[in-house]
Amino acid sequence: MYTQRGYALKQSLKQFKRYKFASTTTLLVLGITLALPVILLFAGNALQQLGMRNLEGESLTAYLQTDLSDLQGAELAENWLGKPGIRSTRYISRDEALSLFREKSDIGEAISILGNNPLPGAIMVFPDSNALSSGRVDTLLAELQAVPGVNRIQMDLRWVKRLQAVVALIQLVGGLLAGFLTLTALLVIGNTIRLELLRRKSEMEVANLLGASRGFMNRPILYTGALYGFLGGLVACLIALLSFYAIREPAHELSSLYESSFQLLMPTANQIFIVLGVSLLLGIVGALSSLYRPSQQLTSRISNS
Amino acid sequence: MISFERVSLEYQADRFALQDVSFSLEPGSFTYLTGHSGAGKSSLLKLIARLEKPTSGEIHAGKILYSKLNRRQEPDLRKQMGIIFQDNQLLADRNVFDNVAFPLIIHNYKFSDIQTRVNAALKKVGLADRGAEDPRGLSGGEQQRVGIARAVVARPKILLADEPTGNLDAEMSAEIMQLLMQFNASGVTVLIATHDEGLLNTFNYPRLVLRQGRLIHPGDSRHSVIEGHTNRRQPAIKRVRNPA
Repeated sequence: MYTQRGYALKQSLKQFKRYKFASTTTLLVLGITLALPVILLFAGNALQQLGMRNLEGESLTAYLQTDLSDLQGAELAENWLGKPGIRSTRYISRDEALSLFREKSDIGEAISILGNNPLPGAIMVFPDSNALSSGRVDTLLAELQAVPGVNRIQMDLRWVKRLQAVVALIQLVGGLLAGFLTLTALLVIGNTIRLELLRRKSEMEVANLLGASRGFMNRPILYTGALYGFLGGLVACLIALLSFYAIREPAHELSSLYESSFQLLMPTANQIFIVLGVSLLLGIVGALSSLYRPSQQLTSRISNS
Repeated sequence: MISFERVSLEYQADRFALQDVSFSLEPGSFTYLTGHSGAGKSSLLKLIARLEKPTSGEIHAGKILYSKLNRRQEPDLRKQMGIIFQDNQLLADRNVFDNVAFPLIIHNYKFSDIQTRVNAALKKVGLADRGAEDPRGLSGGEQQRVGIARAVVARPKILLADEPTGNLDAEMSAEIMQLLMQFNASGVTVLIATHDEGLLNTFNYPRLVLRQGRLIHPGDSRHSVIEGHTNRRQPAIKRVRNPA
């Protein structure tokens, strides 16, 4: 263990062991502080999946003018298939519309009183996933509205767009909160490292007199920062996983009330590794920010005489 | 060889810690640095260890010219020195062995070498079987001997001691001095800052005498040093004539 790196690691771990209560408290503070950004990160991905999942299979309905023949309507549906952003189209003739109306509407039989079929032909347009995610749907809607023979376009995606907007807002607010909390974690680490520097002042001063380089003196402190960051991230991940596990079932019950197959996905190993990596980096940055000044201000142990 | 050429150190405007100091120490010499408290002894040691930079003048250690040193080179200079403190500055969070091993870790020695050298150093200072002990449990003299073992374990060329016997009784002081003399006999240049008259009289070696930041020579102000006795054939301190 007496290589310089081994020594630095040993010293860092020794500090954790020696100040068990203080270290544990700091780790819990860090873990809880980082837990909310981590939960938001994991939940953000889940919510994004929720938005995308519900957009799949959603459509625009273009109602055609009543004087348009079935042949013209079918041709129009065929032509639109080549347009960018459209995955598929389906033409619904006036007769098919009438039959669907009679079948599905409570007042289906009442339409017979009118004598003739008042329903127009319609084309169901299914946008592709790119158009849905990039918000190109509005442009597509305007383009189709301008096509001669199209009377009106109904957008069935509106509620999904609202959901997406809500998800985007949650993500934005979550991002801001995550930023503030990450900054808080950075300050906690920085402050912990400053205390650590005070504890190690004697060692650093003696090391300086014995010819230690700045790298040698700073390494144990950097390792301590990295350990705090990594272990804080680990605690945050544990809290997030427990939280997800706790809300998974209620979330499933809620989504089933809306006849949705949505399930809250547990965070992946990759996501956890990313969190651990970022928190480790956070620890190093926190340590560096505290190291920058004090190591330049090392004073001599030789008293003035 | 360590040499000072017209070195001054000014902490504040017109308040000199050292003024126009010139001397040189031969390799392997044993020299006292004496003077009252505040005379500038520690400042001079700090300058040698490059813990302070002179306001003016030039310092050499062998071929190393201090004014040409940059921050990155300073640790390498200090690695050539062993420093002994009055209050020994042992680290309380580790045992005697680890305290003595500390310079060797800084020097990046292998573990096997560290064991050999630390054990040899502890044996030399009479603490061979005390490596596992907490330094706080040792007597003042023993702690100082651990400090000496730490200072010499990496085999420095120069040993600087700042009041090494300041907290010790006469018997302990004599023991410490014997140790320092042994290291000097092996070729290490030793410079001891002290104002312990008993020590100076018992162990008679050349002295650099400081008074209010200036090196003095009673009765001959042109010379910066008093030439005393040395245990080596060559004079320990070269006379350096101060340009009036």
